[in-house]
Amino acid sequence: MSTSKFVYVTYIRTTPEKLFDALRNPEFTRQFWSETWQDCEWKKGSPWKLMIPDGRIGDTGEVLEFDAPRRFAVSWQNEFKPEMKAEGPSRATFELEPMGDTVKLTVTHEMDRENSKLIEGVSGGWPPLLASLKSLLETGDALEMTKKWPEGV
Amino acid sequence: MSSNFVYVTYIRTTPEKLWDALTKPEFTKQYWFGFHQDCEWTKGSSWKLVSGDGMVADTGEVLEIDPPSRLVLKWRNEFRPELKADGYTRCTFAVERLGELVKLTITHEADDAHKMIAAVSQGWPQILSSLKSLLETGHALPRPDTLPKG
Repeated sequence: MSTSKFVYVTYIRTTPEKLFDALRNPEFTRQFWSETWQDCEWKKGSPWKLMIPDGRIGDTGEVLEFDAPRRFAVSWQNEFKPEMKAEGPSRATFELEPMGDTVKLTVTHEMDRENSKLIEGVSGGWPPLLASLKSLLETGDALEMTKKWPEGV
Repeated sequence: MSSNFVYVTYIRTTPEKLWDALTKPEFTKQYWFGFHQDCEWTKGSSWKLVSGDGMVADTGEVLEIDPPSRLVLKWRNEFRPELKADGYTRCTFAVERLGELVKLTITHEADDAHKMIAAVSQGWPQILSSLKSLLETGHALPRPDTLPKG
C-alpha cells in the first residue's frame, strides 16, 4: 500500500522516565509544543485529544500502544483543517531507547495514503518541537519559537 | 533514481558560532565521533574527514562556500568498499538565523541510488544532536561505543 511517512530521530541527555513524562505532561508540552496539551488517560484504548490553547480541539484519536517508559502510539486525525481532516487518521509512534546517559527518541508519523497533507504538515512541525524539547530537558528552557501558539492558526 | 536524506534542527546560538562549530577541528572532534575535517575552506579546496586515529574516512572538495550561511561538499566514502563504489554524494549545510535561534538544514544526496545515503541517515541525527548539546550546554553528548555504519 502507498504510504506517507515522516521519521525524526534525536538524542537527548536525560532519562527515559523524564522524557516519557515530558512528552505527555501538560506542564512540559505547553513549553515545547506551542502551548498545546494532550487530554488523555494514557491507557491503551483511551481517547486522545490535542488541545489548542484557545480551547479548540486540534487533533483526536486514541492510544494504540502504551508501554511506559519505552513506547507509545496514538491514532491521530486533524480536526481544524478541513483538507487534513478529510484524510482520516494517521498514526504517531514515539520510541525511547536509553543509550548510556542519553536517550534516543524516534518519532514516526505515518498514514496509509500517498502525498498526505497531514504528514507534509507535521514534517515541518516536528523538527522545531523536538529541538525545543531537547533544549527544555537539557537546559531547562524551551526554544522561544515554540512557546506560543502561532497567531492566526 | 536519486536518493537524499534531510535533517533539520534548531539551535540556540548564532550563525557565526554554528559555522565555527561546523568547520573547526577543536569543535568537530567533540561532537563528530572524534573526527575532524582537513580543509582550507575555500571553493575548490580538497576536503577530508579524518578519524581520531588518523584514518581518512571520506574525501571530496568544497563546491560552494558562503560563511556563515552555506557550505556544499562533494563527498565520497573511502573506507567501506561498497560505499566507495557508489561514488560521490553531495552534502549541503544551510544556516539560517531565526531571532535568537539558528535553523540548520543538512541535505545529503546523490543523483542515483547510493548506499551511503542510508548509512549517513543513521549518523547525522547523532552528530547533530551532539552538536546542539555542545552549543547550548557546553558539553557534547557522550560518544557511543560503536560508530554508526558509514
